[in-house]
Amino acid sequence: MAGVGFELRRLLQNNTSLTGRGQAYAFAALIGSGPWLLSIAAILGIALHSTRQNFSADVVGQFQVSVTCLMAFSLILTGPLQLTFTRFVADRLFEQQPRQIMANLFGALSLALLTAGLVGSAALALWFDGSLLYRQCMLTGFVTLCGIWIVMVFASAINAYRQILLVFLLGYSITFGASLSLRDFGLEGLLLGFVVGQACLFFALLALVVRQYPGERMVSFDFLRPGKIYLSLVFTGLFYNAGIWVDKFIFWADPLTGMAIVGPLRASPAYDLPIFLSYLSLIPGMAVFLVRVETDFAEKCENFYRTILRGGTLAQVSQARQELVDAVRSGLLVMLKVQGATSCLLLLTGQELLAWLGISGVSVSLLNIDLVAVVIQLLLLGMLTVLFYLDQRMAALSLCLLFFSSNAVFSWISLALGPALHGYGFFFSVLLTASAGLVILLKKLDQLEYETFMLQPVIF
Amino acid sequence: MTPSPPDTPVRDITLLLEGTYPFVRGGVSGWVQQLIEGLPEFSFSLVYLGAQRASQGEMRYMLPSNVRELQCHYLMDGAELRDLRERPGDSDYFAQSACMHGWFRNPEGEPDPAWLNRVVLQESQKPGEPAKDFFRSKAAWQQISDSYNRYCPNASFQAYFWSVRNMHTPLLKLAAIARTIAPSRVYHSVSTGYAGLLGAMLRQRTGSPLILSEHGIYTKERKIELQSMFLREQEGWFTPVPDLGMAHHDQAWVRLFEGIGRLVYHAADPIITLFEKNGDRQVRDGASRARIRIIPNGVDLACFAPLRAHRTEQIPRVLGLIGRIVPIKDIKTFIRAIGVLSARLPDVEGWLIGPEEEDPGYAEECRALVQSLALQERVRFKGFQKVEDMLPQLGLLVLTSISEAFPLVILESFASGLPVLATDVGACRELIDGKDLDDRALGRAGDVLPIVDHDALARAAHTLLTDPARWSAAQQAGIERVERYYQQSRVIDSYRDIYQRTGAS
Repeated sequence: MAGVGFELRRLLQNNTSLTGRGQAYAFAALIGSGPWLLSIAAILGIALHSTRQNFSADVVGQFQVSVTCLMAFSLILTGPLQLTFTRFVADRLFEQQPRQIMANLFGALSLALLTAGLVGSAALALWFDGSLLYRQCMLTGFVTLCGIWIVMVFASAINAYRQILLVFLLGYSITFGASLSLRDFGLEGLLLGFVVGQACLFFALLALVVRQYPGERMVSFDFLRPGKIYLSLVFTGLFYNAGIWVDKFIFWADPLTGMAIVGPLRASPAYDLPIFLSYLSLIPGMAVFLVRVETDFAEKCENFYRTILRGGTLAQVSQARQELVDAVRSGLLVMLKVQGATSCLLLLTGQELLAWLGISGVSVSLLNIDLVAVVIQLLLLGMLTVLFYLDQRMAALSLCLLFFSSNAVFSWISLALGPALHGYGFFFSVLLTASAGLVILLKKLDQLEYETFMLQPVIF
Repeated sequence: MTPSPPDTPVRDITLLLEGTYPFVRGGVSGWVQQLIEGLPEFSFSLVYLGAQRASQGEMRYMLPSNVRELQCHYLMDGAELRDLRERPGDSDYFAQSACMHGWFRNPEGEPDPAWLNRVVLQESQKPGEPAKDFFRSKAAWQQISDSYNRYCPNASFQAYFWSVRNMHTPLLKLAAIARTIAPSRVYHSVSTGYAGLLGAMLRQRTGSPLILSEHGIYTKERKIELQSMFLREQEGWFTPVPDLGMAHHDQAWVRLFEGIGRLVYHAADPIITLFEKNGDRQVRDGASRARIRIIPNGVDLACFAPLRAHRTEQIPRVLGLIGRIVPIKDIKTFIRAIGVLSARLPDVEGWLIGPEEEDPGYAEECRALVQSLALQERVRFKGFQKVEDMLPQLGLLVLTSISEAFPLVILESFASGLPVLATDVGACRELIDGKDLDDRALGRAGDVLPIVDHDALARAAHTLLTDPARWSAAQQAGIERVERYYQQSRVIDSYRDIYQRTGAS
C-alpha cells in the first residue's frame, strides 16, 4: 500500500493540471477499487451482452453463478493471505530488502495454489456432477483467481500503473472476447472463455511483477515465520472477505429466496443483482478515497512518526497528530461528498438507468437500501485502511469480526422478516460496524501519542 | 521483624553489593573480603546487583566459609512485556509518586514513610501490576507528559520519554527483588545507589536495621561518569550537540541518584564513611550528622613495618608516584615538578610506578612530555611493580591526583617509614596533617599541596629531601599515625562492635 501511495503522490505533484489529477483518480479507481469491481463489471457485461443476443437465459444465469461462486470462494480462501502479504511486502520495502520479495511471492503462490487445488478438487469430487469440461474449467478458474488475488498484492506495491492498467484491460478484453466467441458451446464455452482470459491476466501480471523485483532464490516461505507473520492480519483478511459474502450465502441457501442453478451452486437473483449493481456505483468514491488516503493521509502519518523520531517536542508531536486527524477527517468527508452525490443521483435515476441498460426484474427498494449500505461500507473500508496505517491491528480485527457476525445474524433475521426487509440486514450490519469503527478510530486518533509511546513492546 | 519459617535460618548479616565484590576487583572488594574474613563469628549472605548477566565475568574472590549464600540479580536484563492492553492505572499511586518526585527536587522535611511503602516497595499491589501500570497506563503517561511540559518542554520528547523509562526500570525490578530476599538480622549496604535503595526497601519491609558504608560518594561518581559521557558526545567543534535534551537528562539522572541517596540516608543508621570530608558531603546530601561514623581504612602493619629495616641511611633522591598512568592522577604535573626540581637537585629521579594499559594515549602524552623537557634520564616509567619492593627505594611518595577518596598507598607508605607529598584531595590532608588535635600533635607526615601546582610540589620536595631532620620527623609522624589510628585490626573491631550493637548476633 505504501508503494501505491508514493507513486500517486508523485503523479499528483507532476501533473498539477486537472487532467493529471483526473488520471490519478482513474488509476486509483481501477487499481484500488478492488479487482472485484472489475470482475462484477465483466460478468454483468458478458451476461448483458448475451441476454441481448437472445441467448438462453438459463445458461447465462448458470455462468454468472459459477463465476460469482469462484470469486467469492477464491477471495475468502486467499483473504487470510492478502493482508499479511501486503504487510510483508511493505515491511521488506521499508527495510530496503526488495530481493526477498520475489522468492516469497513464489512461496505464497505455491501455498495458495496448492491449497486452492486441493480444496477445489475435494469440493468438485464431493458435490459437483456436470460435464468433465465444466468441472475442469471450474477447478482451473478457481486456482487461477486465487493466483491473481495473490499477485495483485505485489502488483499494487510496484509503481507501474500504466502497465497494470493495460494488463487488466487486456485480461478482461480477452475474457470478454473469448467468452462471447465460445458461447455457442454453452455454459462450458462461456466458462472456458472466462478461464482463458483470467489465465492470460494472471501470467501477464506475474510477468510484470517478476520483471520488477530481482531475486536470487526461487522460493522462500519467510512470510510464514513467526515475527514476520501477523496472525491478527490473517484473521482480519478472513473475516473481512467472509463478511462481504456471508449475507449472500444466507440468501442463496434459503429455499424461498435461493434456487439451485447449476449442480450444488445456488443463487438468489433477486438479492444478488441489486447489490452487485450497487458495488459498481462505488467507483467514484473509491477513487477519491484512495487518492486522499494514499497521498494526503499517508504523508501526514509519515510526518507524525518522523516528528517523533527526529526528536520533536511533545507540542510538535501533538501538532503533527492534529494535522493527521484533520487529514483523516477531510479525506472521509470528501469521499462521503463525492460518493453521496453519485449515490443520490443513482437513487433518483436508478429505475430509468436500469431500463436504459435493459436490466429488468430488479427490486427498486432493495436496490435503494443497497446503494446506501455500500456507501457506509466504503466508509468502513476507509476507516479500516486508516487503522492499518496506524498499525491498530487488533482494532481492525475486532471490526471485521463484528462485520462478519452482525452481517450473518442481521441478514438471517431480515430473511425471516420477509421480502420487504431484505437488504436491511446488510444495511444495519455495515451501519453498526461503521459506527463502532468511527468510535474506535476517533478514540485511537485522540490518544495516538499515548498509544504510540506507551503501548509498544518493551523489555522489562 | 517478620518471623521467618523455621527451616530458613535467619542470616546474621546480609551484604548488599552493587557492581563490586565478588565479581569485580578493586579497593572496595578487597575491603569486603577482609571484613568477612576478619569476622568469622558472623554468618554472611551476599546479594549482588549487576547490570547484565551476559557481561558478568567470573568470581574474582574465594568466598570465605562464613558466607552462606550468594544471590545475583541483574538490573538491565529482562524479558519482553507482552501485555499491550491499555489500562487506566492507579492515579492515587501516581499522585503519591509525584509528591515523592517533588521532594526529590526540593527536599524539605522528612520523606513520608508511606512513599517507601507504597511508591517504592509497591506494597499492597499484586506482583507485576506496578510495572504494567508504569509501562502501559494512562496515569503514567499523564505524569510523564505533565512533568515534561513543566520541566523541559523544548527537549526531544522521544529522548525524554525513554530516559524516564530507563531510569525507573531498575527501580521497579528492585521492588520485586526485595520480596525475594531472606530475612536477616542486619542489612549492610556498601554504597548508596541501587544497592542502598534495596537496603532501604528491606529495612522498610522487615524492620531490620540498615548499615551503610560509603567509601567513595556514589552520587559524585555517577556525576563524573555522566559528565565524561557528555564530553565524549560533543567531539568536534562543528558537530552540533546531537540531542538538545542531554543536559536535562544528565541532571535528571543526577537527581535520581541524589534522591535515592536521600532515601538511603534516611533509612540507614549508622552511616559509615572513611574520612571527615566525605562525612561532610553526606550531610550536605541529606544524611543526619548524628548518624555519621568515621571508620577509616586500615593497613596490615605486619606486612609493611619490616620494610623500614630495608631503608638506606641516606635519603634516596627518588620521588615515587604509585598509581595507574591516567589523567585523574595528573601524571604531567609530577613530570613537570621533576623538571623544576632537577635544576636544583641534578641527581633527583622521578619514578612512575603503575600500569599504563588503561589509557595508552595518555601514557604516550606523558612520554612525549618527558622528551620535550629532556628528562629521559630523570623520569622512569617502571610499569606495574609490587608496592613492598618499591617503597624502601623511594625518598618521598608523591600523589598529584586531582581526585582521590582515601588512598591506601599513603597508609602503606607511612607504615614502611616513608613521608608523603599529596594534593589536597579526599582524605589526604587528614592523613598527612592529622584529623583532630591529638592526631595533629603527632606532627606532619609530609606535605599537602594544591592540585596542578608543580612549583609548589618541587619546593616541598626540595625542602624535605635536603633537610634530613625534617624528613625524619615526617617519617616518625607517619609511623606513629598509622600505628595509632590506621591498623587493620581496628577496622574489624569497629565493625564487630557495630554489628553487635545493631543486633546481628
